[in-house]
Amino acid sequence: MNIDFDPYVVLGVASDASFEEIKDAHRRAVRRLHSDTNPNKGAVAQLQDINVAYNLLSEPDKRERYNQQAKKLPQRKFDFILRVTPSKRSLAPMPEPQVVYMLVEILPDPRAREQQEVVTRQSRLNLTLVLDRSNSMNGVRLERVKVAAHQIVDQLNEDDVFSVVTFNDYADVIIPATSVQDKAQLKAHISMMSASGGTEIFKGLAAGIEQNRQFLAPKLVNHIILLTDGNTYGDQERCVSLAKKAASEGMIVSAMGLGSDWNDKFLDEIATVSGGACAYIKSPSSVVQFLNDHVRSLVNVFVERLQLSVAPDADVRLETAFKLAPNSQPLSVEEPSLALGNLPLNRITSVLLQFEVPANLQEGFRSVARLIARGDILANDDPRFQALSDFSIGISRNAEQEETPAALLDALGKLTLYRLQERAQEAVESGDIQEATRRLENLATRLFERGQDELGQQALAEAQQVAYTSSLSDKGRKALKFQTRFLLAPPAESSESGS
Amino acid sequence: MKICPFCAHKNREGYLYCEECGQPLKSDEPSATLPTKQLEVSPDDYAAHATWGTARFEKDSAIIMHIRDTTEPLTFQPEGQTVLGRSDNTSTQKPDLDLTPYGALEKGVSRIHAAIFRTEDTLTLVDKGSANGTHLNGQRLVPNQPRVLRDGDEIRLGKLIAHIYFKPQH
Repeated sequence: MNIDFDPYVVLGVASDASFEEIKDAHRRAVRRLHSDTNPNKGAVAQLQDINVAYNLLSEPDKRERYNQQAKKLPQRKFDFILRVTPSKRSLAPMPEPQVVYMLVEILPDPRAREQQEVVTRQSRLNLTLVLDRSNSMNGVRLERVKVAAHQIVDQLNEDDVFSVVTFNDYADVIIPATSVQDKAQLKAHISMMSASGGTEIFKGLAAGIEQNRQFLAPKLVNHIILLTDGNTYGDQERCVSLAKKAASEGMIVSAMGLGSDWNDKFLDEIATVSGGACAYIKSPSSVVQFLNDHVRSLVNVFVERLQLSVAPDADVRLETAFKLAPNSQPLSVEEPSLALGNLPLNRITSVLLQFEVPANLQEGFRSVARLIARGDILANDDPRFQALSDFSIGISRNAEQEETPAALLDALGKLTLYRLQERAQEAVESGDIQEATRRLENLATRLFERGQDELGQQALAEAQQVAYTSSLSDKGRKALKFQTRFLLAPPAESSESGS
Repeated sequence: MKICPFCAHKNREGYLYCEECGQPLKSDEPSATLPTKQLEVSPDDYAAHATWGTARFEKDSAIIMHIRDTTEPLTFQPEGQTVLGRSDNTSTQKPDLDLTPYGALEKGVSRIHAAIFRTEDTLTLVDKGSANGTHLNGQRLVPNQPRVLRDGDEIRLGKLIAHIYFKPQH
């Protein structure tokens, strides 16, 4: 039997555990995670692994065979570290449910930083560009996109794989997936792009994924960048399920919107389900830098296809999840695990989770959730790796007042800005103009406090816009959404920013 | 429940920032941390008292307003909206509480300066777009954004400084 995790760790037993101990551990896990009592999506997924582990370890033959196999596995070169910081380590029972936050950080192995060259050499790219060439891209937009694509070609190494798909009403594969040999020829193909027709994202995305799939491998950074300036109609759901499927195969889709006419919710969802990034490119002049920065972040990848599975106890709810770094992106708690994309060598992946624990907790020490981070460490011979953390808290009537950890408080403060923007938008959508205006004004005040004057002005302008027209401007709405989100991502380390 | 000291929004227990106005919620403010024994008696009442603290304005209470440099405090019972300002022969709108006798004109109080709103259990102070601003405990209010008024608060209308006390009726 082939499994890509350590069954002893998953069951939480020692490698010399007796059959009784294994049975006990399994029974406890089932009680905690079974879908009859636990409605959280992550619980089901984790229970499956626990069942697999139990089936393996409960039969002496299989267990022995596994032990022999495990002995033969090559020594892992690198790990990653899973660190969990809760907002509180002990809680007082309350007559009402309460909220607990958790800052989850995934850090590259410190040894890997010392051997940067080894790691970087292992981080080979399988990159596909899916570029919009509909009529609206005509002129400066398309020209800047060509320049950007040329520069990306220049960045690539000979053993990277590259492909380009353009789309309007149809998709054209202008560069089929190939290793980067003749850069001049690749650039010539890109230069021949011309704009016409409508925007059918599904066709472009499907063709792009097909190109990427041809070289898809667990030891590669398989990444698709979708760039569009328009709306696609009727095929959005199909696009999202396509991205989801691509993600399950090991591809990541990042989506970039240019100008103000594209559908941000839709592109966001594509990025969220696959672990990619979603970005708003305000003007054509920044296309070149944006795309190049994004590709640069891919050449330094330490862990690829990072996933976080969160299984709260049956009476605890995982309410929201937000990825803060390396890029900020909302995550979907409706999926069995959170797609976190890739972790560059000199960055940290961090995620903020919000849980609700029930009212009238029993005093004592109790578990809240189990977190499992999984991903492919490209520099290891066997890339699959997972780290596990069980999180418990003490419940006591005289729980001590604790200082909230500064990093968590800071992240949450910034996330609050993003949420205010979201809530203002919700109010607009439900037609509550007064509420929307007030929330935008509140957002402006908070932004000014943080010295974000330009964005604050924008929030005020939108507050007026809403008061007069009962809707937000397309441009202002996107600016507020993506720039408040951008505040969340910590700046890149200086070693990376030097180009 | 955690009540935002700035906008009176009721946040869920455990929130660290107000979801309505984005201000940090202090964790050292008393919140509904209850021994279970008392819970059995009357959870709702106790929770309400524990959270409201000095912001709770009992039924039939009155406000005592001590204006600095004056001897006689003002006492009034707020109902709905009480507009603070100064009355002026030329203007059509009159304030509910005229501060002219307390040197309002010299101290830069606007005709319609601020208002105290009474909701069920609380009072909020709102700046009505005054020329010289309204301050609550040293913090300038954003016009038309209500702030919770607590027992003992200092308010400043232009240069006129006053202290607010709650007087429960017995």
